Amino acid sequence: MAEGKGGKPISASQQTTGTDKAVVTRRQYFRRKKVCRFCLEKIDDINYKDVKLLSAFITERGRIIPRRLSGVCAPHQRRLSNAIKQARNIALLPFTTR
Amino acid sequence: MRIYEQLFIIRPDASEPEIDAFLEQITGVINNAGGRVDKLEKWGVRKLAYPVEKRHEGYYVLLQYGSQPDAVKEIERRFRVSDLVLKYLTVRIDEKLKWLQKRQKMREQRSKRKPAARPVEAAAMPGEPAPEE
Repeated sequence: MAEGKGGKPISASQQTTGTDKAVVTRRQYFRRKKVCRFCLEKIDDINYKDVKLLSAFITERGRIIPRRLSGVCAPHQRRLSNAIKQARNIALLPFTTR
Repeated sequence: MRIYEQLFIIRPDASEPEIDAFLEQITGVINNAGGRVDKLEKWGVRKLAYPVEKRHEGYYVLLQYGSQPDAVKEIERRFRVSDLVLKYLTVRIDEKLKWLQKRQKMREQRSKRKPAARPVEAAAMPGEPAPEE
């Protein structure tokens, strides 16, 4: 895949040990592997009307949470961001909040 | 025939008969154009996420119908002309519904074929590249 580990540069000391899918990143702190919530719960339909679900993926200020933080996989993030934008259009979700 | 979904916001201070009359009009347009109304849901007054025409609340109505594209044009025109409607969103959903059905069928087949492999399937979705992170 095109994306590396969340787009962050990895220095030589922090290189993964071959199997980069497992939780074997050698860092000082332990980081849990993030899994896409939609894959896990098998949610096919990311609908713009589902405000409760979508609002879990926006910040307090109304911005879409990047997938490097939320762990959502690329196909689902694409659908998710489209749904959020549709919901914004019809005033179900805010564009911004002060 | 395409399936559309229309979510629109009506002024919250509109009276119930006014709203009903308006919805009657809209469903009339669909029926005249040879379409059919599948669903008409009144969500009632909700808070808006941001002010629209200086209002903070709106009466949401969800309309799902199958029709030719011409009906959509006419309905949108009416929405724009009518001062009842604050905002509307039209989404064509037939392709999405089809996709969802396909997806569902695939899921069922998978669970039938190899029930033992369920946990693996959760990690790597069918037809999609496995998530890297």
